[in-house]
Order: sequence, then C-alpha cells, then structure tokens
Amino acid sequence: MPSAAMTDLAPTPSRAPGRLPPLALLSRIGAAVLGGYAFCWGFIAVVHAGLYGLGMPFHDAEHLAAILGVLLYLVVFLWTFAARRVGLCWAVLLAGGGLMTGAAALIQRALLA
Amino acid sequence: MVEPTWLLTGAAVSAVLGFGWLALAMDTHWEQVHGDAAPPPSLARALRLAGALALAASLGLCLGADHPTMAVLVWLMLLAGGAVAIAATLSWQPRWLRALWPRRVAAQ
Amino acid sequence: MFQNFRLSMAWLHTWFGLVLGFVLMVVFFFGSLSVFDREIDRWAIPSSRFAPQPMPSFDTILKPAFERMQPDKDAIALLDGRVDGPLPERFEVVRSWGAYTTHRDPVVSVFAGFEVPRAKDPDETVFASHALDPRTGAVLPQGQLRVGSEFFYPLHYSLHLKWKDLGTWIVGFSALMMLAALVSGVVMHRKIFREFFTFRRHKTVQRSALDLHNLTGVVALPFHFFFAFTGLVIFAGIYFPVAHTQLHALHELHERVEARETGLPHERAGVAAPMASVDAMVAQAQRRWQAKGMAGDVGFVYVSHVGDANAYVSVYRAGTDRVALTGEGVHFKATTGELLREDPPRSAVDSVNEFLTGLHLQHFRHWLLRWLYVLGGLLGCVCIATGFLFFVEKRKQQHAKAGSAGSRVVDALAVTTVTGMLVATMAMLVANRLLPESLADKGDWERTVFWSAWGLAMLHAFARGGALARARMNPAWREQCGLIAAGAVTAVVANAVTTGDHLGRTLAAGYWPVAGVDLSLLATAAVAILAAGRLGRRAKATATGHSPAVLATAEARHG
Repeated sequence: MPSAAMTDLAPTPSRAPGRLPPLALLSRIGAAVLGGYAFCWGFIAVVHAGLYGLGMPFHDAEHLAAILGVLLYLVVFLWTFAARRVGLCWAVLLAGGGLMTGAAALIQRALLA
Repeated sequence: MVEPTWLLTGAAVSAVLGFGWLALAMDTHWEQVHGDAAPPPSLARALRLAGALALAASLGLCLGADHPTMAVLVWLMLLAGGAVAIAATLSWQPRWLRALWPRRVAAQ
Repeated sequence: MFQNFRLSMAWLHTWFGLVLGFVLMVVFFFGSLSVFDREIDRWAIPSSRFAPQPMPSFDTILKPAFERMQPDKDAIALLDGRVDGPLPERFEVVRSWGAYTTHRDPVVSVFAGFEVPRAKDPDETVFASHALDPRTGAVLPQGQLRVGSEFFYPLHYSLHLKWKDLGTWIVGFSALMMLAALVSGVVMHRKIFREFFTFRRHKTVQRSALDLHNLTGVVALPFHFFFAFTGLVIFAGIYFPVAHTQLHALHELHERVEARETGLPHERAGVAAPMASVDAMVAQAQRRWQAKGMAGDVGFVYVSHVGDANAYVSVYRAGTDRVALTGEGVHFKATTGELLREDPPRSAVDSVNEFLTGLHLQHFRHWLLRWLYVLGGLLGCVCIATGFLFFVEKRKQQHAKAGSAGSRVVDALAVTTVTGMLVATMAMLVANRLLPESLADKGDWERTVFWSAWGLAMLHAFARGGALARARMNPAWREQCGLIAAGAVTAVVANAVTTGDHLGRTLAAGYWPVAGVDLSLLATAAVAILAAGRLGRRAKATATGHSPAVLATAEARHG
C-alpha cells in the first residue's frame, strides 16, 4: 500500500514512458550519451595536450585528463537530464566538445612545430 | 608492535560498536531495542559522540595494521560490514543491542 | 521534460537502473568471484594445486619456454584483414617477452609479442600466452580453462563479447550508469540518515525490498562508487582513445623524447645479439630495492626488442604490501647486463592513478580486505536485485489488472539475471569436475555448459511467469534456489570424489584455495535453501490470504 514515503519516488507506472513523448526522450538520451561523449572527448584531448604542453609528463597528463573526464561525463549526463531544455544541452555539449577538440588540435600542432 | 590480526579485530569490533551507538541515538531504534520511548537529548548526544569516537578509533587501529593506502580501504569496508551487522541485528534480534547501552531508568 | 530535479533523477534512476541493472548484476557478481579468481583456478585445475612459487629462474626455466612459444590459431585468426596476402603461420621476430607472477598464483603467466610480417600497420603485434609450472617450465595444458581468471574475470569486464570490444563498451556504459544511479539514488532518498539502519523485514515485499535496496546501496556507497569509477579509469584508453587517434602524433613525439631521456631504445637496431644472464639482472634489481628499504618479490619481468642489440630487460617489484600495482622498475641492457635506468619515484598524478587502478585490480596481499571486497560486491548484487524486486512489486497489481506483460517480463529477466546466473555458475563448476581431465577442448565444453544452463534458466523463468498475471510471485525464484543448492552441493561432492581433496583433507593441510571454494559453495547452498524456504512460506501465505508475518508468528509459536 502506497505510503507518503513511496509516492515521491519514480513516476507512477501508467504514466512513464508513455507520458513522456518518445522523440523528446530520445533527444534527451542522445544528448546525454552522444553529446556528453563528444564534450568529454574534447575535454580529455585539450587537458591532455595542454598539460603536456605545460610540462607535465605525457602519461601523467593522459591519466589526469581521463580521471577528470570520467567524472565530467557523470556530471554532464546528470545535467542533461536535469536541464529544462534539451536544445540547450545539445548546443553546449556539441559546441563545447568541438571547440575543445579544435583547441587540442592546435596545441598539438604547436608542440610538434 | 601489536599483531595486525588483533588490531584489525579491534577495528572491526570498534566499527560495530560505533554504529550500534549511533543507531541507539535514533528514536526508532532505541524503541526497538529498549521498548521505551525515545532517549533524552543529552543521552542521544552522548551516544552519537561515543559512536563517532568508536568509528574514529576503528580508523586508528586500521592505520596501525597496514600501509595507509590499504588501511583506509579496510576501514571503509569495515564500516560497510559494521553497518550491515547492526541493521541485521536491529531487524532480527534488536534485544541483543541492549548490552550496548543499558536502559537508563527514567528520571521520575 | 521533468517537473523538477528530483523527478528527473528519479526517472533516470528507475529506467536506466532497470535496463543497465541486468548488466551490472553480471558485472558485480563475477567481479566478486574474480576477487578469488586464482583460487577458483586451483579448484578447477587440480594439477595446479601446489603452493605459490616466487618468480622462477629466467635463464633456466623461462627462456627455453619463451623460445618455444608461437601464437595459437585463435590469436592468428585475429589478424584477419590486417595483413596483405595470406595469414602468416610462423612469427620469427619477437618484440617482447613478459613473465608475470603473483603471491596467489602457483603458475607463472608468460606472454610473447611478435612482429607480423606483411602487416598493414607496422606496429601490429600478435601475442602468444601460456601458464607455466614454475618448478619445471612445463606449459600447463591448453585445453584446461582457468575458470576463474580466464572465464569469470573476463566475463566481468567484457561479457565475453569480443567483437570490436562491444562487451567492454557495454560494461563501461553500465559503470557510468552505476555512478549516475548512485548520485540520483542519494538525491531521491530523502531519509538517507534517518533510515541508515532501517530494514523492515515484516512489511510488504515492496517496503522491505526498498529498505534493503537503500540499505545495501548506502552502507557500501564508497565501495560502489569507487569500483565503478576506477573500472572506467582503468579502461579509459579504450573508451576515449585520444592518445592513439587525435593525439597520436604527440604520442609518437613523446616516445622518441622519452627514449632519448631514459636511454631505453624505442626501435630495434636491426642487429642480432645474444642476451646476457637475466637472473643476474633480476638479482641486482632486488639488491637495489633492498638498498632503498623496499625489499620485495619480483612481480614482472619484461624483455623488449628480443634478440636485438637494442634489447633491454625491465624488472618490476610485486606490489603485495600496498595498493599501487607493480613498480620500482629497474632496466638493464640485455646484451651486457649493464644498468640503464632505475625508475624515479612516482609523480603525484602517477601515484593517484596507480592507487585508483590498484584499488580495483587488487594485487595486494591482504586476505581480510579481499573478503571485505567480496562483501561489498555481494551488497551491490543485493542492491540491484532488490531494485528489480521493488520495480516489479510496485507495478505487479496494476499490470495484472490491465493485462500488461511489463512486470512479467521484468520479473522473468530478473530471475534469469539473479538466480539463473548462479545456476549457470554451479552447472559450470559441476561440469568442470565431471568432464574427464584428458578431454581435448575441455574448456569449450565447460563454456557451453555455462551458457546453455543460463539459457535454460531463462526459458524456465519465462515459462513459470504466468503467476505474475495473477499478481502472484513467480515460482521460478524458489525453484532455481533449489537448483542452486543442489548444484553447489554436487560440486563440492564432485571435487571430493574426483580429486580426493575433500574438506577434511584441505582444512587439515591448510590448503585454503580449495577449502575456501568448497566452503563458499556450501554457504551458498545454505543461503539458497533458506531463501527457498522463505519464498515457499510467502507463496503459501499469499495463497491462503494471510500476511507472511502472521504465518511466521504462527510458526514460531508452534515451535
């Protein structure tokens, strides 16, 4: 029998996912998974290249970037579900990921020169 | 240098005691164990302090037994085990926890 | 989309928790078994039931074994499409030799990496790996599957789905979802401190399952979080292969710079040259560790550019007394034995990374911590299983009335993933004992038994799920508990009969690997029988209309 403590939990079955429009849901999941991945790729690339450029040993930079990148993916994933508008998430994640990936490429070019 | 086995046994016992006291500080669990109404605030505070100190002592004993990196892991896992032990005792045999803090006769 | 933050987290926790929970159950359970993977190997391969040995002599034992090694047909098959022309049959140029031993393993693991002639990628390497008896250098029989370290352990991180590392990706995503489930769970659980010790056994299944779900999730929260997180860090190179793709050029630059700085050659010289005594190099490495106050066993010996003038030998210390993995590498010129480099103390970042990976991979010697890890893993399994139970209980009535099959499907999948998985494990262990030692491809047979048993358990779960349509409990739960108990006891008896190493003997001799597995099997049987009994009473209670609490009290009163 439902008690006060239990009603504040998951939405009641008859309304989930039927109540949530499927396309909007797919967009939300896509943004979280794919957008999140792109964003974290960019982050890891730019942190790795950047720290190496600043003198940190290569594998140290690689590991630190990965450790932070994994945590960032968690944060970004949760944010995408909590955010009001999924469009904003797509924009931030893809643009941010793209910018950071580009920055990493530039840093690499500079270091190889 | 005390044998690590004794230190770790002490750490485990300390973790169980610590959580026992922290549980008793909560009204529902005190009632489960002693059958009477909630403990007075001063007693609840004393129980919480005892509990915290016991958990800290557990960490100290772990640090005495192992390299610090391992000691911290052992401690966190002993805490998990200790909490489960107390929760199980509260669920199956709450009266066993009476020994942890015998009932104070009500002031009146 | 969601009205507020808590609701969004609740939705995420419920639906991603449900779907990925099936994967996480497998990961957590076989992860728990993997804590004692090498002990399970001893149980499964009786000829390896001897005491762990230190790293054997390289010159007299390992080198002859290395020189005989060639990749097997499975390894060569992986080169399909990566070579111009037909697949090579022999591989003559050896890139590397590696020998690895732990304080728990009586066998020494050896691997050799070979250059691939006519490969499309010049860095392509094909590997051969064996387990050797360190006392003689004899290769342990290939057909015998190391059930713990070669089956349960890789199942845990890759689901044995090797195509394009698909299984590893699935496990990785589910690990990320584990982290999301932990955070969202905390957000949802308003009474996290008040209900820290709460387990209301006598209430409805829905309430008690939720209590147990919250309890097991919260008390081991650091464990659950850190294991999922460190698992992702360990395989980060697979999930985000930045250094091998976008930053490949930077990686190459670094390797050349590092080769210059460390004096360890990056490339072969192209001139053949014999190796000096590696045993002398190993002894020197041990003396250097002793001088630093870090006397220890040799964990890993690695030879690069084998047979070349540029070859070098790297000796690493086994990390048995701390969380970080092997370290304190000492490197020698292979042709002369001259010391080239002693690895400097770790940087802060490197120490953190070694701590995180070491925490998960557990090469340390600490039996209490290992058992506590098993406890953590099993608490995780209970958390996931009770999550399924709560999901089904909450929806069972409505679905039955509406004629929807939702909770029936979830329940059958839950049976498959919880009890079915255990049935398959027991079946495999029994098959391991009953199939003859000399059977070629015995390992393939054991794998077939495992997957078939799991498949049958799934069919059973679905077949018996009709009860859900009447909002009753699926009897498959109870029936599979019975199968688990029977299987576990059979395995213990089979071990006693086929090897003679029954508990009386192993306990007296203090041979814990086998005694431990037998005792764990018996404990599992006991829990399964208790569970089956409880479930039987509950089923009877629901049928008669009494609550299980009433029935239990009545039983207790009657003595």
